[in-house]
Amino acid sequence: MANYGGWVGKTLRVDLSNGNISIENTLERYKDYLGGTGIGYKVLWDEVPAGTQPFDPVNRIVFGVGPLAGTGAPCNGRTAITTLWPTCWPKSLVASGHMGGNFAAELKYAGFDAIIIYGKADQPVWLCILDGKAEIRDARNLWGEGIRRTSMEISRQMGPRASVAAIGQAGENLVPMSVVINSHSHSAGGVGSVMGSKNLKAIGVLGTGSVRIAGNKEEWEKAVNYHLSLLGANNQHVVPDSPQKWSEYYGPTRWVASPGRRWGAASSSIDTGSCDPHNLNRIAYRTNNAAFFLGERAWKYTVRGNGCSSCPIRCHTILKVPSVSSKYGIPEIGQNTCVGMLFGRNFFRSFPDGPKGETSIEACMVGMSLADDLGIWDNYGQMQRDFQELYYSGILKEKVGSKEFKSYSWDEYEKGSPNFLFKLLRGIALKRDELTTALGMGTGYHLERWGIPEKDWQERPELSYWKMGHPRHHSSEEAGQTGVIINTQYNRDSQCHSHTNFIRNGLPLHVQKQIAVDIWGSTDAIDAMSAYSPMNVYKAKMAKWSILRKELHDSLSICNWMGPWIASPLKEHNYKGDDSVESLLYSLATGNPKSREELDKDSERIFVLHRALTIRDMQTSDMRTKHDTFPKWIFKDQAGKPPFSSGSSAMDPDDIKLAMDMFYSEMGWDLETGAPRTETYQKLGLQDVADVFDRNGLAVG
Amino acid sequence: MTKKNDGDILKRNGPSVHSSNPCFSRREFLFMGGIIFTAATASQCWSSGNSSLIIIEQANGLVVGDPSKCVGCRRCELACSEFNDGKASPVISRIKISRNLNPWISNPGVKQFGPGTFGNGLVIQDLCKQCPHPVPCANACPHNAIVLAPNTKARVVDSAKCVGCKICQRACPWDMISFDPDTNRATKCFLCNGNPKCVAACPAEALKYVPWCDLTKIERPRISPNTFISPSKASTCIECH
Repeated sequence: MANYGGWVGKTLRVDLSNGNISIENTLERYKDYLGGTGIGYKVLWDEVPAGTQPFDPVNRIVFGVGPLAGTGAPCNGRTAITTLWPTCWPKSLVASGHMGGNFAAELKYAGFDAIIIYGKADQPVWLCILDGKAEIRDARNLWGEGIRRTSMEISRQMGPRASVAAIGQAGENLVPMSVVINSHSHSAGGVGSVMGSKNLKAIGVLGTGSVRIAGNKEEWEKAVNYHLSLLGANNQHVVPDSPQKWSEYYGPTRWVASPGRRWGAASSSIDTGSCDPHNLNRIAYRTNNAAFFLGERAWKYTVRGNGCSSCPIRCHTILKVPSVSSKYGIPEIGQNTCVGMLFGRNFFRSFPDGPKGETSIEACMVGMSLADDLGIWDNYGQMQRDFQELYYSGILKEKVGSKEFKSYSWDEYEKGSPNFLFKLLRGIALKRDELTTALGMGTGYHLERWGIPEKDWQERPELSYWKMGHPRHHSSEEAGQTGVIINTQYNRDSQCHSHTNFIRNGLPLHVQKQIAVDIWGSTDAIDAMSAYSPMNVYKAKMAKWSILRKELHDSLSICNWMGPWIASPLKEHNYKGDDSVESLLYSLATGNPKSREELDKDSERIFVLHRALTIRDMQTSDMRTKHDTFPKWIFKDQAGKPPFSSGSSAMDPDDIKLAMDMFYSEMGWDLETGAPRTETYQKLGLQDVADVFDRNGLAVG
Repeated sequence: MTKKNDGDILKRNGPSVHSSNPCFSRREFLFMGGIIFTAATASQCWSSGNSSLIIIEQANGLVVGDPSKCVGCRRCELACSEFNDGKASPVISRIKISRNLNPWISNPGVKQFGPGTFGNGLVIQDLCKQCPHPVPCANACPHNAIVLAPNTKARVVDSAKCVGCKICQRACPWDMISFDPDTNRATKCFLCNGNPKCVAACPAEALKYVPWCDLTKIERPRISPNTFISPSKASTCIECH
C-alpha cells in the first residue's frame, strides 16, 4: 500500500466486554470512506445488525477523524461520533454527533484515525490511548463525577497535554439527552448515554507523533494560506455586521469585530479593531459569539475567543462574569458557543431586566457550568422549547402530579431566576423525578410518554420541531425548498450548514446569485430569505451539493459550520471563494490526488451508505412517505401570507412534492420511494449494499 | 524584522552578556583567550583549539508572545512543524502551546484558577529565549552541535553533528528543546532564518519577532536543568573565568 500522508494509518478497535484491543489498517478497510462519518457509517453497516438498540453491547460507537485532522488545514478540529442514535424516535437509527476541541488532533498524534468501541465493561472504565497503544483502566473512582473533574483527574494521570473526552452523570445514568465533552466545552450531542451503556466514562488521548504532509511543504504552506485568505467569520459570514472602512457591504452577520468593541475581561483589554480580510493575523478577532448571541453587554465580560485546534475562527467565547461566583457558587469563567452558551437562558421566557440583560448572561453562565459538567444535551435548543411550551400550556403540571410540581419553585422560574436551573438540570442528569426523566428522553420519547401526538408539535412553527424527535436545523425559514429537502434526510437534526452559511453570509443577493451560477448552474438556485420562488432544478442541485459537502467535511475532519468556502470576503475576486479548496488540501496532505468531482463521489458514497443504513434499519425502502417527512408548519406563514409572496416563509405542498421529486432525480434515486436504486449503489462501489438488499427484499430497481 | 537599529537601546542597556557577566567585549575575549578565529565561523561560533564551541554573540532577535491575546488555536505550532518539517507535530514545534493549553491540573477542586483553558483562560506561549552566554543548550552539547545561525545569530541545532543524545533537552531551563523521533535529532527555534513562521501564522497578533532582549533573568525556569558541561568546554571556560 502506498505511503499516504494525512492519515496516520491505524484504527483502534476495543471490545469492552472481554477487554480485547486490536489495531487495524485504516486504509485497507476505509480509504474509500475517507474518515469521520465515512468510517462510522461503514462500521455500522458491516458490524451492527438491523434491529440493534443503542444500548445493546453490539452497538458500535465510532470516534472517527479524517486525513486533515491534526494538520494545519484551517478548521479541522472535528471528531465525528457515529452510533445508533438514542433520541431518534420512534426507533433508533444511525446518526452522528460532532465535537470540536483538541481531541481530533491529539488522536492523530497518538497514532490513530479512528476508535471503534463495542461491548460492555463489567465495571466503569476509561480508555487510555498513548502513542499507538491503548489500555482499559479502572474508572470506578471517576464514576459519579462531573466532566470537568474527570477530565482533570485523567489529565493528571496522563499529563497536561492529554485531551480527554468524558461523559458526566447524565451519560452514566443512560439519559438519552447526554453528551460527551472534550477540551472543557466541546460537546457531541446524543452519544453520552451510549458511552454510559458500555460503562465507558472517558477516553484520554495523548501522542508525540505527527501527521505527515505528503506534498511539497512550500506548496502546502501556499495552499493553507490560500484557504485562510478565503475565510470569513463564524458560519463563513464574509461581510462585517457594521460599517467598516475597508468594507463595501455590511449586514446582520457574525463578523462582529469593530474598533471600540473590546475583549473587556482580558488581562489587559483588547480592541478587536479593524479586521481587514487581507490581514490574516487578525482573523481570530472577527468572531465573538457571546456578543452575537448575548448582545453588546457581553463584550465587557469577554476574556478571549476560544475554539478548536487549528481553527483561526474562534467560535467559542471565554466569558468572565465575577458576580456569578458569589451569587450562584459557580466559577466566574465559562465558555461555549451557540446553543451550548444559551443552554440555561433558553429555558426562560423572560428575565427581569430584559432578554439581553445581566440576568440572561447569568443564566447562560449557570447553564454552561451545569450542563457541560453534568453532560446534558439540549437537542439544538429543543429541550428548552419543549419545557417552556409544556409549562406555559399547563401540560407539565398535569403530567407530573401536584406533589412533584410543588417541589419546584415556579415563582422563581417565571421571574427568570437562574437559581431555578440547579434543581432542574441536576434532576435531568440523575433522572430524579417524572419531569426530569421525561425531559432527558428527548422530544419524541417524551411526547410519547406523556401521550402527546407528535403532530401537535409539528403544527407549531415557534416550536421548530421537525420530525423523529428532532428540530429543524436551517430549513425553509432560511433556504426555502432547499432547506426543507436537507432537513428530511437525517435521523436527527440535519446539522448541515453548507446552504445556510452561503445564504446568510451577508453579501447582497445579486452578488450571491453570481456565485450561485458558478456552483449550481443558475441564479435561480437561491432566493432572498422569505421571498421564495417556486421549485426549480437548481435548488435540487444546491440541496444535493450542500449535503455532499457536509458529509465531505465530516469525513475529512474540516468544519461544516465554518464552511463551505464558495464565497470569500475578497472584493477583488467579486467575493468568490473556491469550491475545490477541499480537494487541494486533501491531495497535498495525503499525496493521493483527487479532483473536486472525485471527492464529491466519495461523499456521495458516504451519504448513500447513511441512506442504506436507514433503509436497512427501518426495514422499508419507502423513504418518501416513511422517512423524508416534514412538519405541517412549513406550509404556514406566521403573518398568514401565501407561499411565494414577499416576506412569506410558507411553502406550498405541491411545490414541496416537486422539490422531493427533483432532489431524488438529482441523486439518481427512485422517485416513488426515494430509495437509491441498485445501480446507484453499484455506481458508487456499494455492491455489498445492493447484494444485501437484493436478498432481503429492500432493493429498488 | 527590519534591519533598523531599533533594538540597540535594549541591547546596550538591557541585561546582556556584556553587562551581566562583567567580562569583556567579543574582541577582548578573542584576544585574551588566544583562540584561533577562523573565517568560516567568524560570525557564527567560537572554535577553540580543541574544538569546544562556546557561543558568545547575541541573537539579533527573538519571538515573544502576549498571553492575553493567545486564542489557543495552535496554528503557530502547526506552521512551525509543517512549513519547516513537512509534518504536523506539536511535539517538535519550537514554540510550545499545547502543554499550556489545558487545565491547571494541580488542584482541580478549588475555584482559584491558574492559566489554561480549564483555568483563567490565559494561554502562555513558551518560546526560545535565544539565551545569552552561557547558552545552556549549546554548552551542554558534547558534540558542539548547537551553533550560531549565520544571519539571525539564533542558536540552532546542526543536525549533521547532533547524535540525538538529548543532553541539551535536559539543559534548557525552559524545556524548549524538541526531539524529533523520526530523524532522531534534537531541534530548537532557529527563527526561520529571520522570518518566523509562527509569527506569520498567528491569527490574533499574539506573537512578535522583536530585537533581542534578555528574558532569561525574568522568566521562571520550567524545569530544573541539568547543568552538565563537558570537560573540554569547561577547560575553555577556564580561559576566561
